[in-house]
Amino acid sequence: MKKLVLAAAALTAGLGLAGSAFAQGVLRIGMTASDIPLTTGQPDQGGEGQRFMGLTVYDALVHWDLTRADKPSTLIPGLATSWTVDATDKTKWTFKIREGVKFHDGSTFTAQAVVWNLDKLLKQDAPQFDQRQASQGRSRIPAIGTYRAIDDLTQEIVTRAPDATLPYQLAWISMSSPAQWEKLSRSWQEFAKTPSGTGPWKLTAFTPRERAEMVPNKDYWDKTRIPKLDRMILIPLPEPNARVAALRSGQVDWIEAPAPDAAPSLKAAGMQIITNAYPHNWTWHLSSAEGSPWNDVRVRKAANLAVDREGLKELLGGLMIPAEGFMPPGHQWFGKPTFKLKRDLAEAKKLLAEAGYGPTKPFQTKILISPSGSGQMQPLPMNEFIQQNLAEAGMKIDFEVVEWNTLINIWRAGAKHESSRGATGMNYSYFIQDPFTGFMRHLQCNLQPPAGTNWGHYCNADMDKMFDEVRNTFDAAAQAQVLERIHEKFVDDALFLMVTHDVNARALSPRVKGFVQAQNWFQDFASITISP
Amino acid sequence: MSSASFETIATAGTLPGYWSGVLRRLGRDPVAMFALLVILAMVLMAVFAPLIAPADPYRGQMLRRLRPIGTPGFPLGTDELGRDMLTRLIYGARLSLLMGVTPVFIAFFVGSAIGITAGYLGGKVNTVLMRTVDVFFAFPSVLLAIALSGALGAGIFNGLLSLTIVFIPPIARIAESVTTAVRKIEYVEAARASGASALTIVRVHVLGNVIGPIFVYATGLISVSLILASGLSFLGLGVKPPEPEWGLMLNTLRNAIYVQPWVAALPGAMIFITSISFNLLSDGLRSAMDLKS
Amino acid sequence: MLVYVLKRLIYTLPVAFGVSVVCFLLVHIAPGDPLTSVLPPDASAQLQAEMRKIYGFDRPLIVQYGLWVLKTLQGDLGVSIATGRPVAGELRLALGNTLMLAVLATLIGFVLGCLFGFVAGYFRDSWLDKLASFVSIIGVSVPHYWLGMVLVIIFSVQLNWLPATGAGPGGSADWAWDWVHVRHLILPAVTMSVIPMGIVARTVRALVADILSQEFITGQRAKGLLDVGVFRHVVKNAAPTALAVMGLQLGYLLGGSILIETVFSWPGTGFLLGQAIFQRDLPLLQGTILVLAMFFVALNLLVDVVQTMLDPRVQRT
Repeated sequence: MKKLVLAAAALTAGLGLAGSAFAQGVLRIGMTASDIPLTTGQPDQGGEGQRFMGLTVYDALVHWDLTRADKPSTLIPGLATSWTVDATDKTKWTFKIREGVKFHDGSTFTAQAVVWNLDKLLKQDAPQFDQRQASQGRSRIPAIGTYRAIDDLTQEIVTRAPDATLPYQLAWISMSSPAQWEKLSRSWQEFAKTPSGTGPWKLTAFTPRERAEMVPNKDYWDKTRIPKLDRMILIPLPEPNARVAALRSGQVDWIEAPAPDAAPSLKAAGMQIITNAYPHNWTWHLSSAEGSPWNDVRVRKAANLAVDREGLKELLGGLMIPAEGFMPPGHQWFGKPTFKLKRDLAEAKKLLAEAGYGPTKPFQTKILISPSGSGQMQPLPMNEFIQQNLAEAGMKIDFEVVEWNTLINIWRAGAKHESSRGATGMNYSYFIQDPFTGFMRHLQCNLQPPAGTNWGHYCNADMDKMFDEVRNTFDAAAQAQVLERIHEKFVDDALFLMVTHDVNARALSPRVKGFVQAQNWFQDFASITISP
Repeated sequence: MSSASFETIATAGTLPGYWSGVLRRLGRDPVAMFALLVILAMVLMAVFAPLIAPADPYRGQMLRRLRPIGTPGFPLGTDELGRDMLTRLIYGARLSLLMGVTPVFIAFFVGSAIGITAGYLGGKVNTVLMRTVDVFFAFPSVLLAIALSGALGAGIFNGLLSLTIVFIPPIARIAESVTTAVRKIEYVEAARASGASALTIVRVHVLGNVIGPIFVYATGLISVSLILASGLSFLGLGVKPPEPEWGLMLNTLRNAIYVQPWVAALPGAMIFITSISFNLLSDGLRSAMDLKS
Repeated sequence: MLVYVLKRLIYTLPVAFGVSVVCFLLVHIAPGDPLTSVLPPDASAQLQAEMRKIYGFDRPLIVQYGLWVLKTLQGDLGVSIATGRPVAGELRLALGNTLMLAVLATLIGFVLGCLFGFVAGYFRDSWLDKLASFVSIIGVSVPHYWLGMVLVIIFSVQLNWLPATGAGPGGSADWAWDWVHVRHLILPAVTMSVIPMGIVARTVRALVADILSQEFITGQRAKGLLDVGVFRHVVKNAAPTALAVMGLQLGYLLGGSILIETVFSWPGTGFLLGQAIFQRDLPLLQGTILVLAMFFVALNLLVDVVQTMLDPRVQRT
């Protein structure tokens, strides 16, 4: 009995001290990334980097509406108040710049700053050109041809070809402060330590690999998005276990992607598990490069028929939506594909045999996977599970495990690049929020590396023709119809191994109030408060 | 480990009946014998895994994943992919023992060769060989193993290679010092003077006296090697999924410590049992060879 | 004495040189072009040539090595590829954290090891010896990463007494010696201390047993003379070796911290090394290994010199 009392005393003493060290209104977030995302403007670390370091400290010309949880997010004005396409020349766009927006360093945001920031990513001989940001941002804006500031508040962008998806692309591009960069003797390394954007949060301090601290920007131009919190702290916790441990012991108030296994025990401990559908796809991106066994549609279909998606759902404690296509079920672009994604081992084996594989010529190939990463869910057990599934159909898969940032770099380099180490597929999770990120960047002929991120070097004339149609269709309903046809072709040709969609799970301490989880990769932290 | 005690053994090694005495003394050491039994059991388990194991080590069922110890049909529970833990632990002995013992085994030959050559020839050869060995010896062993496999990349072969490189320097150093000592012993000097060929001297006198002590030293390294090899897999630098290997199993089960903590800890217990058995046996062997006791 | 120190110093130089060569070559045995991970995949051929020049990869290996050593001697370890931050700064931060952990672990290991070792050696072949010896053999046989997991299971998962990971609520940047932070240090330090505990205990046991078996002492003990005198004699004779073993253990812990730091997400050099390996961040990998290995070489030198000063009869080579 005495022992128990002592234990309880030690426990309460520990918790009490841990709690009292923090003022109210401090939100501490455990991220899945292994490092603080790049702070200079265009963050690394994938969608998570953009969520926590991009749209917090910085703004883009175009924003996502993150205020609704009940329907997919749409685009809204950001640093640009409106945009129009020239009626005769469909490549010429005009963006009206929001007046009176100040960077954190006090300088004013203008159209010239937009040009400066685009040069930062696109113009290699510009003094402010930053290779690190460019490698993150350049591939997001393939449409942009030329650009100029007509006056302080008018920005013109001319696309290479008519492209109705330009606003989606611009929603990725963060605006860093030119004045701050000049002040810090034109050094991005210095800028990284004291960055300046126009966003609702100001980065005040960070320790590499350990933590970043932000305070609200009380002068933010959108008064409804001024954060209520006193501070927000980002802590990289790449280990799923470490995140759960940190949340349970009160070291953080919020963790991204709690391990599904831990969800029941977290719920039992009073934590909130928040989920919502969002445009996410967890897939094996298959290579169409010469020599890839996936060039045979029968093999691709066989693999898709071998995956036990219900078993996978069980593995994830229900925290996933089994794939029926590349887009989530019920998506406006889903269409009516004829190929059904179900488990049918007999059919899979039959297709494989037709493709010439069998006991004498077993199917074997290598897939790149990462042990963690933004949107990657639980990559190791999930991939191992799929490996088992495919083995049952007679397909032997070897894994090459690389770190998440390395995987991103390989993904940009393409399946033919030596960094892909001869792999014919890669486990990647996709942001599929718009036509470009959903389809084009993966499948368009002229976006094969190094020009773009068509990792698998897929190239198909019919597909390309439909992409041109999408770009030239400025009417939303008509555009959606083309996108349905694209998706039908995608599924019927079984272009990727379509596995699952994430539900964006995060676990929050009961003290976290007022969070609205948008159906989006990005989230707004303005409305959040912490109750004592 | 002072080389002085090895020199005593080295000289003693020529006495008639010495080795049978060592074995007799070892046989009377209950702790060492028990350790030997455990190791033999592990080896048999590894060799006959397909006969002993109740299930397929690669096939799992999601519906029965992470079951606790004592589940009917799964005496040691199931892992994160619903595979039988008992089966995986039995099969795990194969790669874990292979990865743990092979590097010491190879390093024993390579290291002895380097050390004996250096010790026997002396002079410039000794300097060149031993200074090179010293450079690798100057790295903490865990650091060297991890740096090498980190640079080479994960995989069974790379893991074995890195560990072998780690264990060559200590063995070579012992071999060199024992050989140098033996070379100075009178009868070897005499053999040299009588014009026996270098090879004969090495074969008859040096090898006979030197290999024993090096062998004992090497047995002491096996437990370190086991822990290190599984450690590499634990970090993701050794064996790759889905192979059953104790270190890798520990790695993949680590995420389940909030669900089935004791199942998650099982593979480590296997490493521990094996490693402590090798240490106890090695200790037994050492004291059996120590004439003072 | 001075001659010995000088000799030892001169002997260390070629070893240090060799260690630097190995660290340098490690990166070049790595499969693939070291630039692959430096350059963004969409880099033009022109940019690739430029970067090759900036990184000096277009020069002969020996020139590259020379330049690298020169820069390193000036404290410049290059810039991390993954983060763009200077490697030296990253390392300094991490080294502080690892030192804190390793020194504490060595101290715990030393105190416990001496205790067990002394008891075992003093009461040789008694049940106390058997018990203490068993504890120390556990120390050298236990996979410490597993022990760390088990401790986490007991003290974090089941009892919820101590935190499982990290270096405190604010990261290592605002470390303080208060309970909020120190509680994060307990599990990793204890886990890390078992190996030095086992090794120190085994060494001390052998030393004590050896000293006690000397005729002079057996005579004293037989006469039933006061144990205090015997104790002092033993301590005086065993201390130099025990201290030397402790010093070397500190070096092993620093170099081998990666496993423990991975288990506890402790932001030290091992953690950094792990990240460098998995991100194929070659400058960071090279720098971390070099600094850790040089630390070990220097520690070896220091231990030898100190040991010789304490006991001039021992001259390790």
